[in-house]
Amino acid sequence: MSTDAAQPALGSDRTLRRVLIFFVLILAVLVFVVVASVSNLNRSIATSDWVNHTHALITELDALQPTLVAAEGELSKFLLTSDPRDHTAYQEKFSELGERVDVATALTADAPAEQELFTPITDLLTRRAGLAERMAAAKKSGDTAVLDQLLAADAEHNDHHELERRIGKFREAQTDLLSARDRASFLQAQTTRWTVFSGAVLDFLLLCGAAWLIRDDLAARRLANRLLQQTNAELEDKVSQRTTELTATNAQLVAQSLEDRWSKQAIEHQNRYNLLIIDSISDAVFVVTKLMNLSRLNPAAIHLTGFEPAELIDKPLARILTLTGAAGTTPPSFDPLARTLIEGHELRDRPATVMTKNGQSIPVRLNVYPLRDRDKVVGGVVILQVLPLTP
Amino acid sequence: MSSATRPPFAPSHTLPAPGATRKHILAIDDELPILELLQEYLKAQGYRVSTASTAMEAKRIVEAEAPQLIISDLQLEETDGLHLIEELRVLLPQTPVILLTGVLFDAQVVEDNLKWKISSYVSKTAPLQSLVQEIRRLIGS
Repeated sequence: MSTDAAQPALGSDRTLRRVLIFFVLILAVLVFVVVASVSNLNRSIATSDWVNHTHALITELDALQPTLVAAEGELSKFLLTSDPRDHTAYQEKFSELGERVDVATALTADAPAEQELFTPITDLLTRRAGLAERMAAAKKSGDTAVLDQLLAADAEHNDHHELERRIGKFREAQTDLLSARDRASFLQAQTTRWTVFSGAVLDFLLLCGAAWLIRDDLAARRLANRLLQQTNAELEDKVSQRTTELTATNAQLVAQSLEDRWSKQAIEHQNRYNLLIIDSISDAVFVVTKLMNLSRLNPAAIHLTGFEPAELIDKPLARILTLTGAAGTTPPSFDPLARTLIEGHELRDRPATVMTKNGQSIPVRLNVYPLRDRDKVVGGVVILQVLPLTP
Repeated sequence: MSSATRPPFAPSHTLPAPGATRKHILAIDDELPILELLQEYLKAQGYRVSTASTAMEAKRIVEAEAPQLIISDLQLEETDGLHLIEELRVLLPQTPVILLTGVLFDAQVVEDNLKWKISSYVSKTAPLQSLVQEIRRLIGS
């Protein structure tokens, strides 16, 4: 019984431990998926910032050469017209060019490789700005010779072509980087998707395992419950059977006890009835042993002799009784009473006298009946009838 | 149960509960211990027992609720058991009667001389089981 009860408890503890392990694993998978996803998100955000930065740099690069061309166009107009307004326009355009260079320089500040590519471009633009400034100064001062010399020198250089080549190379490098980052970003997104998908699948499988364990445990509990109910039913049957047996045994004992009490009651009743019969006889009745000693006497005998029973019990009958012969005859020479009991025959209507306690001699008529127990004489009954006194 | 703790026995004159299905027996004896034992034993055997120690009580019970069987002693204080049986059989001519007495009768004497008065004779010296067998023979369980 205790073993049966302990087994489900142990099984339940084992199942609980396994289910807890499953949930810990599920939690670990969830934490891993969250950490990996957040990390990938951070990387995606960083990639997005870099892409925006690169696009800004490319935009600035694309604007450098047109701005330079526009500024040099305004310079050419000033060189032709000497109009101060054209001079102002030329200065504004070069200021705009300077701002764009500053922005591009700032955008490449943290990337030495980009700085290395952008520095020659800056140098070329600085040289072009310096040339423009010297031309404008020569124009303002009216020094046409210097101006012509500067223009001739500029014609020999191919700065614009060099600038276009370097900007194109830089732009191409940035575009290649964008492509690489784009591929890397795609791979990150794919990794994130697979991480989340794999985590979800793994968690689902772990949940299925935990559910299977719980279902298995519930089935085991139901089985244990059925076994317990079956055991209880068997136990109740045994108890009921044992109770029935005990009830039957108790009933038998009660019946036996009543039979014993009934038997005792019947014996007492029978004895009392037997005594009643003897005691109700008005003649004196004496019961004697085979040796003619008194063993019992009825109330009439007590009244006749005047003795108490204690004074006569176990005393010889001859103490109170004497046979007499018929009138004028002598008493027999042998004891006919003893002979009666020895031979087992009755002695009837024999004259005798009773000697009472106070010495009075009372004539009686005597009858003796032998007491037979299984054909064996064990004693006798002596009945005395008091003879009426003759006037 | 010892006699010291046993409650004092008194003849039962209580009427049966409504719907009672146990067979009703009237036991008549002038000795209360005998009645007590009979009632206890027969109740355990599934019978409902009314007891009477006098002829008057017996007649009152018979008039109140006729028993299916009468058990009577021979020697009563007020009257002869056989005489009482004759009076009761006037009221209940079909009811079997068992004479239960300590006065030893010869079975043949009973068969020859008392069969028109009683249905059966059981000695008080016989086991109670033999009395129950007679009851079952006469009125069933």
